[in-house]
Amino acid sequence: MTVTRRRCAATRTTFYAGLAIAARLALVVVVLAVTSLTARAAGSALSKQDQECLGCHSTEGLEKKLANGETLSLSVQGPAFAKSVHSKIGCAVCHRNITLENHPPLKTKIASIRENSIELTKVCSSCHGEIFKLYEGSIHATLVRDGNPGAPICTDCHSPHAVMPKAAYDAATGAPCSKCHDPIFKAYAGSVHGKAALGCSNCHRAHDVSAATTGDRLKNACLECHQDALAAHQTWLPNAAQHFETVSCPACHAPAAKRKVDLRLYDSVTKQRVAEKEGVPQFESRVRSADAKGAGLDAMALHSLLREFNREGIDNETTLRGRLEVSTGVEAHQLMDKSQAIRDCAKCHQQGADAFQSVTVSIVGPDGRPVRYGAQPEVLNSMISVDSVGGFYAVGGTRIKLLDWLLALAVLGGIGVPLGHLTVSWLVRKYAKKIGGQEDS
Amino acid sequence: MPRIYVHPLPVRIWHWINALGFVAMIVTGFQIRYIGLIDLLSFRTAVVLHNWIGFVLIGNFFIWFLFYLFSDKIKVYHPELSPLKHFRASFRQLRYYGYGIFKGDPNPHHLSVYHKFNSMQSMAYQVMMLFLVPLQFYTGVLLWDVNRFSGMIDVLGGVRAVDTAHVLIFIFFVGFIFIHPYLASLGHTRTAHFKAMITGYEEVEDESGHTSPPA
Repeated sequence: MTVTRRRCAATRTTFYAGLAIAARLALVVVVLAVTSLTARAAGSALSKQDQECLGCHSTEGLEKKLANGETLSLSVQGPAFAKSVHSKIGCAVCHRNITLENHPPLKTKIASIRENSIELTKVCSSCHGEIFKLYEGSIHATLVRDGNPGAPICTDCHSPHAVMPKAAYDAATGAPCSKCHDPIFKAYAGSVHGKAALGCSNCHRAHDVSAATTGDRLKNACLECHQDALAAHQTWLPNAAQHFETVSCPACHAPAAKRKVDLRLYDSVTKQRVAEKEGVPQFESRVRSADAKGAGLDAMALHSLLREFNREGIDNETTLRGRLEVSTGVEAHQLMDKSQAIRDCAKCHQQGADAFQSVTVSIVGPDGRPVRYGAQPEVLNSMISVDSVGGFYAVGGTRIKLLDWLLALAVLGGIGVPLGHLTVSWLVRKYAKKIGGQEDS
Repeated sequence: MPRIYVHPLPVRIWHWINALGFVAMIVTGFQIRYIGLIDLLSFRTAVVLHNWIGFVLIGNFFIWFLFYLFSDKIKVYHPELSPLKHFRASFRQLRYYGYGIFKGDPNPHHLSVYHKFNSMQSMAYQVMMLFLVPLQFYTGVLLWDVNRFSGMIDVLGGVRAVDTAHVLIFIFFVGFIFIHPYLASLGHTRTAHFKAMITGYEEVEDESGHTSPPA
């Protein structure tokens, strides 16, 4: 009896174990069937080989643990890939290092997701060489080279397995730029350009994006569309060409923006902005030593800073060129319809104008972006600045106070001397034989 | 009272256009520099007027310049080549305005067709007409279109340096515009020199007598 019971129990255990294995097998079959169906649904456009890749890689949650603890997703959305422009070339063109023999590439150690993505940009450049060259000259690529972890590489803007044609970029959402520049995009969306649904790349270009506040690129971008802008301004704006040179477009066309003056170190010999030498950052140390109190450069400090820059050699002649611009990138994107632009000259051309209450001195940093240091607003009104800030002057707004006193003296003298002379004549009239001859009055 | 013709027509035309023009330039100049403090005109109107009147004055300058260049009247500007004589005469004139005039002393300057300026005037007007006025026109033209003349402006030390020179000369002329009419009122009558600059004739007391020169 006991033996019979034991046999029955053993038979039951074997049965349940078998059932569990069968269930697991069934599950695998179901998963494979589903993923296979998904892969097939993903695209009849996809080659058989790509469908085989997606057979595994369309599995949700397929991932790899990296050395630094990050998890690299190996999952690809089949339908999205099928719609992408790269569906025609297939998986193997980009993932050429993966072969049947070495797949999965266990020997390849991936340090981090970022490093993997940067490594894969070489693959992008092998087909898109020209565009990649443009990108390499961009501020984005410079920041990547400088090790900035947030700087975008190809796959940050172009979703790696869902690369869409250029026409598919949506100006309304600002993607992909808004992913990093969201506050700017929100400001832009309310602007006259945003409402017209122009994309970011119309002004900033897609790949050779440059630092916004260095160079003439952006101004030229404005003038590329607004070709008659100078002629239109010349009909009413005195010194229009100089305004175009010294005043940024948003300074007037973003009427709500806070304005400021950026005094740029400029080499009069090379006719270019002075740039910080690679590996020899001098600007920061020089401005800090010139501004011992840390209250911002005053007129004397600015003067001695220029002297320092001119001491380097006789081949350079560093001066300061000022530019009126808006305070932030967000404000630079709040461009309004021209009917709302500032046309009142007195907004800037009077003493105490808001535009001249914030002043910076800048140099072009090694990454192409300006490096700025604060200066006191009085540098724009000081007699010392005739020499150092010779390249920036807004009549009325940045007038030199000493000249105001001299003018007051001239007026007082001009009125006072004749009055004094007349008074003396009147006082001594009784004693004079004749004063001024025969007066006819 | 005998009269001598000392102000030929081109000089009178130049003088009065210049006088009105300089007053207008000073008014608009004040308005441009002190918008907010003075609000007679809008900034833009003041700038446009300042520019136009400036060009009129430049043209007008050539009436004066060409007249004296191509006539024998240029002798009125002939400098006294002996510095000692020049400074002695200038000092005498200065002493007259600062002291002698109150006592009723005669004007030390003897007016004649080719000697209508006293020593101080002759020197001051040459500095003004051959240096300050052309320099003011020059800096004014540079500031009229800063971008067009940026190369020249950079050579001169930048737009702020050019403007400072322009304003310094402006300050001088502001003082001058008050002093000049007052000195002109110190003739043998208060209006004698003003009338002379309209008619061209200065009255002299008698052939041997002295009279004060025009300002």
